[in-house]
Amino acid sequence: MPPKGWRKGQTAGPRQTLVLDNGAYTIKAGLVTTGPSSKPTYDDCHISPNCIARSTRDKRTYISSDLDECRDFGELAFRRPVEKGFIVNWESEKAIWEHEFMNEGKGGLRCDPKETNLLLTEKPNCPKELQKNCDEIVFEQFEFASYYRSVGATFNAWHPSSLLSLPQECLLIIDTSYSDTTILPIYFGQLLQTAVRRLTVGGKLLTNYLKELSSLRHYNMMEETYLLNEIKEAVSFVAPSSEQFAKDLERTWKGRVGDKRTLDPSIVVDYVLPDYEQSIHGYARPHDPEKYRMRRGLQPQQGPREDLLPLGNERFAVPELLFSPTDIGLQEAGIPEAVMQSLSVLPETLRVGLLSNIVVVGGNSLIEGFMERLESELRVLVPAEYAMSLRRGEDPIKHTWLGAARFASQPELLKQVLVSKAEYDENGSGWLGRKFAGEI
Amino acid sequence: MPLVEVIPNNATSTVAPRWTYVVDTGYDPSKVAFNPKDRKRVPARPGGPRGDTELSARQQTAIARRIAELSRDNDPKQVIAIPWKGAAAKTQNTRRILQYQRQIKHWLDDEEALLQQAPPPRAPAATGRAAALRRRSTLASIPPTPAEATTAEATPAPTAYAPQPNPELDSILSVEKSRPAPLNPAELEALLSAPPLLYGESHATLGAGGPPQRRFCDNCGYWGKIKCLKCGARICGLECKDAHEATRCLKWA
Repeated sequence: MPPKGWRKGQTAGPRQTLVLDNGAYTIKAGLVTTGPSSKPTYDDCHISPNCIARSTRDKRTYISSDLDECRDFGELAFRRPVEKGFIVNWESEKAIWEHEFMNEGKGGLRCDPKETNLLLTEKPNCPKELQKNCDEIVFEQFEFASYYRSVGATFNAWHPSSLLSLPQECLLIIDTSYSDTTILPIYFGQLLQTAVRRLTVGGKLLTNYLKELSSLRHYNMMEETYLLNEIKEAVSFVAPSSEQFAKDLERTWKGRVGDKRTLDPSIVVDYVLPDYEQSIHGYARPHDPEKYRMRRGLQPQQGPREDLLPLGNERFAVPELLFSPTDIGLQEAGIPEAVMQSLSVLPETLRVGLLSNIVVVGGNSLIEGFMERLESELRVLVPAEYAMSLRRGEDPIKHTWLGAARFASQPELLKQVLVSKAEYDENGSGWLGRKFAGEI
Repeated sequence: MPLVEVIPNNATSTVAPRWTYVVDTGYDPSKVAFNPKDRKRVPARPGGPRGDTELSARQQTAIARRIAELSRDNDPKQVIAIPWKGAAAKTQNTRRILQYQRQIKHWLDDEEALLQQAPPPRAPAATGRAAALRRRSTLASIPPTPAEATTAEATPAPTAYAPQPNPELDSILSVEKSRPAPLNPAELEALLSAPPLLYGESHATLGAGGPPQRRFCDNCGYWGKIKCLKCGARICGLECKDAHEATRCLKWA
């Protein structure tokens, strides 16, 4: 059914835009109608995993949203087309896009590229060759009617959450996502390129770190990426300060020989691992030394058997990397220092404006205690006479998508930036790259 | 005629029957390469012996390898074929792109190498756009004070706000001093038209003067109070030392 305000042939070119926030972990996508009355909401955004997974147990290969059907995540191997935030492997990305959006697949979002505009987001500092590959695939392989590619975070300036006139004048985005964490100062929807700062620490690194720690201390879980990601999301929290971090570390210490300590059950939890027969998801419960000891001895032949993964300092030491990457020897500053480094190259007036409008997006911001820690550490670093306002997008994962969708729903904005296939055919990919970089 | 010299036999040399140990004070380039001194105690480094917090080359390699492992996206050993037979490549270009099996590090290295060969002209661009933005800016004409900045969130149209000078106001209440200087248009233009940084340049560096690096037990994650004598990793106690030596000790790595 055509949405409200839909009238055929009002403008040249298609009225429908595929807004695609192509993240390394999930694809955030939705079809947006361009028109003054079109008001896309979070409900228009579909999230699907951006991966191809292969299970050695049921010998099946799952493409993106097929994973919903998966019942056994044990030893599931993933192939991700996006590396460090950039689309690298087009063979698999094409398969995923076709499966999710094109007519051949069976997913929920269908469109015909020839009658659709594409609004694609990318990470900042993308190598030019990869951008060129992307442009060529979009026009030559998928043949979208017209296309615009831009750094995803800039669209947050069009997010309708604030009462300010859009685009927001000064906006500092802290995007803490799967691949990495980036600090992006944005002025009237335009990225201040020289002030972009990045931390290698992202959700992927945290999951891999937890995987490594659990494998070293308990079971070998190096192949259980899915499970460890689930555990990370369920139990991890950020300590409110580094002093509290030290206290928590004390409370989760087993003690030394001759001086055994009892673990504090308010922090240490036992994660009951799924067996993929009765249960496909595990759950956490407070640590119980009795049951834990039983785990190591014989379990009853009859009745429920359970495998426990005790989690103590892993719960807060893993997300602590976002604030202190040197803990694993990574020679980078934590998020608060990175924000200050980014601002240090900007004039003072912009600094004041940016600090008063900081928005955190990305999945890591959902970790318990993240915002509180970030606010308190940043407040210490920011000069006292500056006002600081820090908030998390109400849906940090879809925040960028909604901003981009609002951008795409406004015909006059979209018309300025879209490049049609005819223009591409005439001028080529080198020209297109320069155009999107703002050099033409 | 052969030169006959009396070899000094002072307190530092020891006497042995028929021959003598002599302190060699002269510079002999042939002996510089293999320094007979105890290399373990005094490493031949320009900065003198290694400090407590400095890492050996072996440790640094181990850390670099570990970080690379932690931030890896795809396992090159796992090959997952795509069962989905989608549309075939439509042009020569796309066929080439679809067949690439390179990883991100190859692309990033390429980008850097390309730039070293031919640095691109850093031409100012997007001047029109920047100028248009500046005209709409509220900062260029009326820079917000901290107080203003907090109220700005609730004000729908900050452009409409223009404070009138009021001579009756107490000079103590004046916010003139705390106001940042107005935006310099040329500076703003330069910022907006600057080309993107390279991926490698965009990393947040570790500033000097921060807190010292925290050391954790290699095994259990508690404070690493003791150093492993064999490899220098940190451990928290005897129990963890045994576990460390059984699994992670780098002595033989």
